[in-house]
Amino acid sequence: MDKRLFSHINWGLLACMCILFLAGVGNLYSASGTRLEDGLAFSDFYQRQLVWGGLALIGMIGAMSFDYRRLRNLAWPFFWITLILLLLVPIMGKTVYGAKRWLSLGLMSIQPSELAKLSVLILAARILARDGSPLGWKDFISVLAVGLVPAALIIIQPDLGTTMLILLILGGMILFHGVRGYVLKTCLLAAPVAGLFMWFVGMKDYQRQRILTFLDPSNDPRGSGYHILQSRIAIGSGEIWGKGYGEGTQSQLRFLPERHSDFAVAVFGEEWGFVGCVALVTLYCLFLLAIFSTAVLAKDRFGSMLVVGVFFYFFWQITINMGMVIGLMPVVGIPLPFMSYGGSATMVNFLLLGIVLNVSMRRFMFKV
Amino acid sequence: MPDIKIMNNEDDAKKALKSRERNPKIQVENEGYQPPRSGMIFLQAMIGIFFFIFVVRFWYLQVHRGEEFSRQAQENRLRQERIFAPRGRILDYGGKVLADNRIAYGLELVREDCPDLPATLAQIASWSGIPLASVQEKYQQDKARVKPFEPLLLITDIDFDLVAKIESEIHAWPGLEIVVRTKRNYPENELFAHILGYVGDANEQEMANDKSIDLGDLVGKQGLELRLEKDLRGQKGLYDVEVDAHARILGKNLRLEPKGGEEVRLSLNRDLQQACWDALNGEAGCVVVMESDTGKLRALVTSPAYDNNLFAGGISRRNWEALRTNNRFPLQNRVIQSVYPPGSVWKLLMAAMLLENGVSPHDTIHCGGQVRLGKQIFRCWRKGGHGGMNLESALVHSCDVYFYLMAQRMGIDKIESFARASGFGSQTGIDLPHEKAGLVPSREWKKRRFKRAWARGETFNVSIGQGYTLVTPVQMTVYVAAMLNGGDLLKPQLVENAPREVRGRVPAQAKTLQFVVNAMRKTAASGTARIVGRKDADMGGKTGTAQVVKLKMKSGDRRLKTHEMEYSQRDHAWIATFGQKNGKSYVVVVMVEHGGGGSTVAGPVAKKVYQYLFDQDPNFPASAEAAVEDAAAPVATRIGRVQSNG
Repeated sequence: MDKRLFSHINWGLLACMCILFLAGVGNLYSASGTRLEDGLAFSDFYQRQLVWGGLALIGMIGAMSFDYRRLRNLAWPFFWITLILLLLVPIMGKTVYGAKRWLSLGLMSIQPSELAKLSVLILAARILARDGSPLGWKDFISVLAVGLVPAALIIIQPDLGTTMLILLILGGMILFHGVRGYVLKTCLLAAPVAGLFMWFVGMKDYQRQRILTFLDPSNDPRGSGYHILQSRIAIGSGEIWGKGYGEGTQSQLRFLPERHSDFAVAVFGEEWGFVGCVALVTLYCLFLLAIFSTAVLAKDRFGSMLVVGVFFYFFWQITINMGMVIGLMPVVGIPLPFMSYGGSATMVNFLLLGIVLNVSMRRFMFKV
Repeated sequence: MPDIKIMNNEDDAKKALKSRERNPKIQVENEGYQPPRSGMIFLQAMIGIFFFIFVVRFWYLQVHRGEEFSRQAQENRLRQERIFAPRGRILDYGGKVLADNRIAYGLELVREDCPDLPATLAQIASWSGIPLASVQEKYQQDKARVKPFEPLLLITDIDFDLVAKIESEIHAWPGLEIVVRTKRNYPENELFAHILGYVGDANEQEMANDKSIDLGDLVGKQGLELRLEKDLRGQKGLYDVEVDAHARILGKNLRLEPKGGEEVRLSLNRDLQQACWDALNGEAGCVVVMESDTGKLRALVTSPAYDNNLFAGGISRRNWEALRTNNRFPLQNRVIQSVYPPGSVWKLLMAAMLLENGVSPHDTIHCGGQVRLGKQIFRCWRKGGHGGMNLESALVHSCDVYFYLMAQRMGIDKIESFARASGFGSQTGIDLPHEKAGLVPSREWKKRRFKRAWARGETFNVSIGQGYTLVTPVQMTVYVAAMLNGGDLLKPQLVENAPREVRGRVPAQAKTLQFVVNAMRKTAASGTARIVGRKDADMGGKTGTAQVVKLKMKSGDRRLKTHEMEYSQRDHAWIATFGQKNGKSYVVVVMVEHGGGGSTVAGPVAKKVYQYLFDQDPNFPASAEAAVEDAAAPVATRIGRVQSNG
């Protein structure tokens, strides 16, 4: 690899990422502890996360090794493949917990909806990169269609979280790119209508229930409000300095639900307190700023849009997950990047950061 | 922090050029890309808002409300488990056990740990044989009263065989647990039922009144169990139990040691109580034995009685109905809760009243068997009349005419005020609930009650303890004791170490009291109470036969014999007595409901009581010196004072 490519890597981003990943593994170790009558028992989540991290690092290097501009040509084929896979899900998908999200490919299963995030991101970047002027109706609708088609296929699985995430990423990218005033105004007016449509048509009963419970968790303290209440108790009981690493009672005594995955940050908050949480929020902000700087410094519009897409991919997941854990948002199954356990999520996170680093590396290069 | 303001400077451009020279494939992009300004502001604003909102929210949760959530986390983690303190035992005077605790097994349910509640309740019903509906009702009733994860006691006092069966199957029913609780046990059954009362599960109101009472606790409901609740209950201990979200117990810490309730020794003598019970021989009635100097009760028997063990574990509806509807009222403590016309026993009060109101013991009245008042005829019990009677002979022979005419001379007001001052018409203060006050009729009372003026004939009735006059046997006991102890109306004490408590004084001089006592002696020696007379002891007595219904008798009608009358119309038989021997002074009052004549029915009961007291009681002092040595100092001084008064 060219030395100069190496020298232009966004080291700040890489540092933030490594610290976050290691903090996540450390937090998982503590969250794996369960107090039994005779001491602590640990599950192996943190070890598995480390293995995934190692694999993902290789993936990331792979994602850095080619010129990102090739992705522009791959955008449409990648998108069509994703659509086909998404169409196959209702036909031959596996039903897990009442939802058809998985496609079995012999040895391994994949979630086409995960792929959809990537392909929508890349295709949208390609379309938005065509022109620098704010979007008029025609362009706006064509970009939106890129997101809405897969989103419609995903919401019937049903998977509200991923659907929302895709649309939010798309929305973020469009807003970054800029739209004409009249389009923006019309969209703002249409948003409540879309919200109502989602409520009555797009959502399942359990999802509506979650939102109602979010508005008043004490309504159902032993049912769906339990998660919200217990995670608030976990975080709040950390007070200023936290209970200390490995000392969280809410987590070890299993009051906290989903402590390895969606509620991992509650374990962190309980043990590290306000000081730790502010440090974590700051770290995430630095991480996002590092991605942002790459978007600003990118040499071409496609790279910039790609990085903005990745920025929103992380931004929304962090906001939604932490917002849910600290009771600012309803419970939606979206993991917190680097903190929540998850093999494929780690893989995708690292791949996307690989793309960001790719863009940062090649910000002065031009491929003939 | 990455520097976002870096722009491609010359240095970078040179490097790029160099690399282009070496690798012609890579060139500096010549199209200058500028990211949209509004987009950059948008992204930075998003990061800024994110930082601000989350830091504020974390501050709110962890600093502003941190303490509150900390406490909630503690509450999540620590449960308090109560350790039951054994209730204090109740013993008789000699140390025999009247109430203690025995082990009982119960079945508790923690509803949060119970995956299938309806099936679990059905299983409980099938184990215990209790109808499912009652198990469900009990659950519904109590579930609101226990906190989450606190056990709810569903059935109590399971037999041992059933415990073994449940134990072997309980692992299939999460949320259920067999627990050991104590149950109150009354070994003497009905003999002390009315005195001890019983305990039962605390109800809503009891829990509201006393925060230390929890659901499933036993509290006194009746009798001494109720009155001495504070002493008997003790103080519960506390465990801090660390649990996880699945209610698995991880550790226990003793926070507060339980303190057992106090043991209470009663003044009652179990064997004497048994002797009194036997003497009553199944009749409905009661016997009171009290020490006249101290007010200590040595026996307090009411018959028929009930087995208070039935109540200790929660009485069944069937048993309760049977007790409640029994026409002999076994739940009634006749000593304190039933009021009766006193009949001729009342003349003990009348005699003292007359002496205090200027009547000389030498004043005589001729008894011709009856007195006329207008159209009414008031008869003496002795058809032929007693002839010339003075106060003493009128008492000894229980002449009605003497008291009719004397009462007419005094008027109802004097009788009323003397009777009230002597403790009638008000409670004696005995430590048992629901004591009745009786009734001393007066002009105002009659006006209030019947809206009519007092009639002169009613004074006649009152003078012989008939008419409206109603007393409880314990009031009569206290009055007779006052005659012996110098006029002190003592609180009848049930607890052995209770101090002597004077609640009032009979408004009479010592010689008046002495006169009444002497008259009682004569009555026991040669009068109507001859049956209790004994050579080896100083005995006194007064009988009474109280009419229950006013019999409309035309002249010439024969008085019916007791056995010829309906049970409920038969007379109540009274005898109020005292017996003094070897320095001990007892008052024994016997009342047999619908028993007939006082001397023939109540008398023999009293006689048997004295036979036990003076002849059979192994604890009875053989001589006066032994008694003085034996007795507490205050008692000795009391005796001294009575003697000096005499």
